[in-house]
Amino acid sequence: MNSLLTSAFIVALIGGVVDLDSTATWQFMISQPIVAAPLTGLFLGLSAGDLGAGLKLGLIVGAILQLVWIEQLPLGMNVPPDAALSSVLSVALGFLAGHQYATYVEREVCSTIALLLSVALGLLGRSLDMFVRRINTSISQWAELRLEEGKTWAPAYGHAAGGVCTFTKAFLFCFLVVLIGVEPLRYFTESLNFVQNTGFIVIQGLLPAVGFAVLASMCIQSRREFRFFLGGIAIFTVLPASIWLGLPLALVTGWVFTRSANGAA
Amino acid sequence: MGFLYAIQPGLDQIHPDGPLREAAYSRHLEYFNTNPYFSPIVMGVILQLEERFSRGEIAEDIIHDTKEGLMTACAAVGDGFFWGAWRPFVAVVALALAFGNYLVTPIVFLVLYNIPPLYFRFRGVFWGYRLGTDVIRLLRRFQIQRARLALRYATIAMLCYLIPNHVNLHTPVLIANLPMEWFYIGEKLIQGLGASVLVGLAAVGYRAKIDVLMISFLLMLSALVLYHWGILI
Repeated sequence: MNSLLTSAFIVALIGGVVDLDSTATWQFMISQPIVAAPLTGLFLGLSAGDLGAGLKLGLIVGAILQLVWIEQLPLGMNVPPDAALSSVLSVALGFLAGHQYATYVEREVCSTIALLLSVALGLLGRSLDMFVRRINTSISQWAELRLEEGKTWAPAYGHAAGGVCTFTKAFLFCFLVVLIGVEPLRYFTESLNFVQNTGFIVIQGLLPAVGFAVLASMCIQSRREFRFFLGGIAIFTVLPASIWLGLPLALVTGWVFTRSANGAA
Repeated sequence: MGFLYAIQPGLDQIHPDGPLREAAYSRHLEYFNTNPYFSPIVMGVILQLEERFSRGEIAEDIIHDTKEGLMTACAAVGDGFFWGAWRPFVAVVALALAFGNYLVTPIVFLVLYNIPPLYFRFRGVFWGYRLGTDVIRLLRRFQIQRARLALRYATIAMLCYLIPNHVNLHTPVLIANLPMEWFYIGEKLIQGLGASVLVGLAAVGYRAKIDVLMISFLLMLSALVLYHWGILI
């Protein structure tokens, strides 16, 4: 129980810091799943003595969640589902429930189920985010009143208070979820048999396809780009899957096509 | 309130203590929302306008009107470029690295992503302050539309690399029917074809306004069914 409390505390700290970057402050994008998830994996791995597994899990979960949430953009007033908290919690639940299992399969199952849960957690996180924004509005009004009375330190304090609210919300949320979520997850994994376990692995391999599809829909906006896309897929299907070949080739062809394109976006 | 917090030192320097300063504070407590990387530009312009107002060169409502106009303009340009083109591009590069199991991926993402934001955030205040409302002309020199097009092509190209290689689709049909020499190319073709079909279906679903989470759920269901029938392993 003690180590669960420490892990919950670590996860809650990370969740609080990462959630501040989400919309409240900084915007350095550490709230993106592809950064927040490996970060959580790193610290959980350190605390459990298994650094490599933690990082690897964080990376894969981060990549998949990044794809799932890739269309959520903070345009103007839009409050996207909380990808930061959902990725932190997904890695936390998957790692804490799974890393004691000896077999690869059961670890993967834990992480896949944690992935699925994290979507629900992201939506819950958004409701909490809206709640904190309402609190921020009343802080803003409080600061206005104080300013009218002539206290010029009010905006600074109000600004900090808003940040404290966001941090506290994320901290409490992560802490509670980790405390109550790990045991049920472990229990559920143990209740599945082997065939169903490998089924989960298949799902995990296919999940990126949705994210790719969404991104492709977002980016392809003309027939020329669509033909470019089809041609690219055909080429890359037959080329070996090496990133050092793929990345430069992709960038160069993209650049060439832009040069020969007429008109602006 | 955040906007006021940011420019408060500037306002304190421009306006002497007293009713003028309080009027300035209350001017900037109103609603403010724009792209976070472009808000320093707006702050620089506002500081220049506040200075000119304190010297009596312009009227007070010009400050409010300019702020509102700049707010929407910067939001349009900034959101379109950063959220629409730059972040997806850096994200696919990071994804390609992540699927290749490189552990430095998050650091690469952070460092690469933050170069334009930090540039705009840092220089933006000075541009805004020196140029005033002419700052829009400066922004136009960056050819942001062209950059967006280039980034879109690059993102699509990266997707072309990712889709055939990192959607894990395997069929036992191949192992049973193909001789060994053809196995590799057959596997790659199946994976490319299967991934493209999958991505195409998902894209059609997305265009038809089916929610992403629902598409994922349907995908998982069909994957489980196909797995159960032995078509997918």
